[in-house]
Amino acid sequence: MTVATLTALRVDRRRRTVRSVGVTTALACTVAALFVLTMMVGSYRLSAGQVIASVLHLTDNPSVDFVVRGLRLPTALAALAVGLALGASGTIFQQLLRNPLASPDFVGVTSGASLAAVSGIVLLHAAGLAVCAYALGGALLAALLMYVLAWRDGVSGYRFILIGIGVAAFLDGLIGYVLSRARLTEARQAMHWLTGSVGQASDTELRFLLYALLVLLPAAVLLQRQLRALELGDDSARALGVRTELSRASLLAIAVLLVALAVAVAGPIVFVALIAGPVANRLLGPAAGGIAAAALTGAALLLTADLVAVHLLPVPLPTGVVTGAVGAPYLLWLLATTNRQGVGG
Amino acid sequence: MHERAASSSRHIPRLNGSALISFGIKPVGIYTDEPVKTDPNLKDLDLTGITVLGEEWGKIDVEKAASLAPDLIVGDWWPAEKAYSGLEEGVDEKSKKLKELAPIVGISQGESIVDLAEGYENLAKSLGAKVDDPKVAANKQRFEAAVTAFKTATAAKPGLTAAAMAPSDENLSIANPKYAPELLDFQRWGLKVINPERPDPSFPYWETISWENADKYQPDLILWDSRVFTPTVNAEYGKKQPTWFKVKAAKAGAAVSWPGYWLHTYGDFAVELEKLTTAISAADENVGN
Amino acid sequence: MTTTSTVAARRASGLVVLCALLAVAAFLSIAQGSRSIDLSEVLRALGSLGGDGTINSTVTVELRVPRTLLGILVGAALGVAGAILQGVTRNPLADAGIMGINSGAAASVVFAITVLGIHGVEFYVWFAFAGAIGATVLVYSIASMGREGATPVKLALAGAAVTAGFGSLTSAIVMTDIDALNELRFWQVGSLAGRYAPILIGVAPFLLAGLAVSLGCGRALNGLALGEDLARGLGQRVALTRAAAFGVVALLAGAATAACGPIVFIGLVVPHLARFLCGPDYRWILPYSMLLAPIVLLLADVLGRVAGAPGELQVGVVLAVLCAPVFVGIVRYARLAEVGP
Repeated sequence: MTVATLTALRVDRRRRTVRSVGVTTALACTVAALFVLTMMVGSYRLSAGQVIASVLHLTDNPSVDFVVRGLRLPTALAALAVGLALGASGTIFQQLLRNPLASPDFVGVTSGASLAAVSGIVLLHAAGLAVCAYALGGALLAALLMYVLAWRDGVSGYRFILIGIGVAAFLDGLIGYVLSRARLTEARQAMHWLTGSVGQASDTELRFLLYALLVLLPAAVLLQRQLRALELGDDSARALGVRTELSRASLLAIAVLLVALAVAVAGPIVFVALIAGPVANRLLGPAAGGIAAAALTGAALLLTADLVAVHLLPVPLPTGVVTGAVGAPYLLWLLATTNRQGVGG
Repeated sequence: MHERAASSSRHIPRLNGSALISFGIKPVGIYTDEPVKTDPNLKDLDLTGITVLGEEWGKIDVEKAASLAPDLIVGDWWPAEKAYSGLEEGVDEKSKKLKELAPIVGISQGESIVDLAEGYENLAKSLGAKVDDPKVAANKQRFEAAVTAFKTATAAKPGLTAAAMAPSDENLSIANPKYAPELLDFQRWGLKVINPERPDPSFPYWETISWENADKYQPDLILWDSRVFTPTVNAEYGKKQPTWFKVKAAKAGAAVSWPGYWLHTYGDFAVELEKLTTAISAADENVGN
Repeated sequence: MTTTSTVAARRASGLVVLCALLAVAAFLSIAQGSRSIDLSEVLRALGSLGGDGTINSTVTVELRVPRTLLGILVGAALGVAGAILQGVTRNPLADAGIMGINSGAAASVVFAITVLGIHGVEFYVWFAFAGAIGATVLVYSIASMGREGATPVKLALAGAAVTAGFGSLTSAIVMTDIDALNELRFWQVGSLAGRYAPILIGVAPFLLAGLAVSLGCGRALNGLALGEDLARGLGQRVALTRAAAFGVVALLAGAATAACGPIVFIGLVVPHLARFLCGPDYRWILPYSMLLAPIVLLLADVLGRVAGAPGELQVGVVLAVLCAPVFVGIVRYARLAEVGP
């Protein structure tokens, strides 16, 4: 390797780092701005200053505090946390399965969480934190099921997606049956949950997700870096192959946990996990693949969707309705316009 | 059309709507389970100046409620759920924060609509309503007269039986009076409302039977769930369900609207009782078995 | 040549056995139910065509006979539609649900209930039919854009996207209209109850036409099963075959879903059973599916009626319980390569 190529490599790497840091910072600022903005609008208009002062306990105004800390902060935090989790989890799935369509929405993980949560509500009269626990269990079981059913054939193939969609459709069918066995009140509770809304999270569930994010997100970033180093490095050694498999499996486990927690807190909010990664990659350009950027993109998407769902539409709707109504045409457009062999299958 | 979710549970920041409005107490805001314009509790009531905070179960605009600065929140208490309506398990977490705004009071849903009406009367009195206002008094008198007339009508037909039914496309449901306070009231006042033999284990408010077994109960008078009742509905079911007219009362056209799960006041109950009394007087006690 | 004809003879005798089984299932479906009726009364009612006006004869002739006939037609339609879909998309887990049929029909039913104020199965059959056809056409036309046409993956994804989109719309409406939720959730299970002669007469022409056409599809499906390139090499017009096959599926599954609500699983499981019995030749898989599916559907329905008396379990629920383990078995153990890409 000549000095010139080494220098070129180094320059290239530095350029990528600069772009990655720049984009991530810009995304973080956007998310922060959206975060404050969602707390400003509503039946009470508040200024950014009032919101920030109230959140940071700098002022003491009971009526503002009730609205900001009591009502708006939990929703905003939920949107932020769920968005981060979905964005990170989506991009990890897509990268590890080497498939832009391998979002947890499509491979049955979300459906598994939904089926478990709805069964919990309807059959076991669960509520609150118990629903959250069922959703978590369901997501993990569904992930395991997919692993058992499809891993053999290799996860990068389209077969994985096909089987995933089949499993998801099957689980969705079961959800329909569970719903029909329910009392109407429980059916409605289940429907509320099924539509997915960041406003439905209770403080306990939310706190759980936030703590989990603090651990899982940095772990994912570190694992990804390690995995890249392993893949780039001289991997002739067999031991290295084992380590690669191990990091890959742990990374995937983190992704499953993240999406499971997100679904448990907010219900199935479709398409965010699918879209966040590709959008972030477009922004990152040559530095594509950053988990932090994808997570922030997910948060920005979800905060925006919630703003639209609650404040811009004539009737406030669950967040999942907005992401579904926007995401479905987006995916269809993607399918209709794509000509590339790789995406068309 | 099954179950009480389509019910009338309403909770009204500051002061309860339907039950209290009829006593002349005007709340600053209301929230309902269904659109205000289709809610039977709110029909004929003047709602001007009252802010609607939600028209769907589980969704209350607490921010808007906070801006109204209520002193008191009123809602029915559901003993089974151990919650005021609108704040049960499964509603939006945000809606539940309503209870941080002001104290909540409410009358318990129990075994008699009369208790409910009385409870709201007392509540209205304690909130300063003039219960002896001529209009309010007239409502109560009308109710008492309606009960007397109802008792007279049932006493005149000691053999008359009735069943509370809700036919649907797929099956036929018979309500269990044990869980329906107004049906318990009817029984107390002499109407023989049939108790179903095998209430559904999952939701014993109903016994659901298939259309093949439509003739299982043969009342003299059908009390038809008001949520699906229309004047022509009996004939429609006769046409589309081959076995519906095997219920002899249905064939005879002896069907009347049954006000399931929404009554709260003397006034509303009186109107419904008068309709039932007419139907009972017109019914033939030898139609069914 | 002898072996070929022996195989053909064996397969044909299999069909005869299935016909006999179907007749038994149909008879059970008429004789059994949530109401117990003496066999002699059933036979008398059938003989006199319900002339005597007792409830037992009404139940037999006006409830059970149309229900059984509808079960046969709908079952056959779903079985065949599933077989064709699995062949065309080469996806072993394909059923009408992944084509967006159920979600389109559901959205359309909700629209009919909430916006047009229409109630009752007999009226929203036609909305469900229109919604199902509309969704299938949408899924197919989006998937077939682009150079390589409607590939299995693009179909599956387009189906998933359309399902999610319609699902969002449906839940947005249903969340604000409790009565619509109540009607929808019962329609959504899939049931043969409460469907009488008018609905049967309404959808029968579509189902019969679809079934007749479908029997001619075997050779084309065999071609497609070889893979696109090979099929093209054999002179088949792949795109045209696919489009025609989807037309048949839309007709069959659309009409069946309209009449009974979405009955999933049967279209998924039965073709695999058929393949297990008669091998990979679609000229045999189609008639086998056409006979097997109604047998399964009718038996599940009878089970639901007897087990749930004096009420009934919806056939969809019974099928879910019966088919779930079969489904897992298929995915795990079936030689998916036979239908896969």
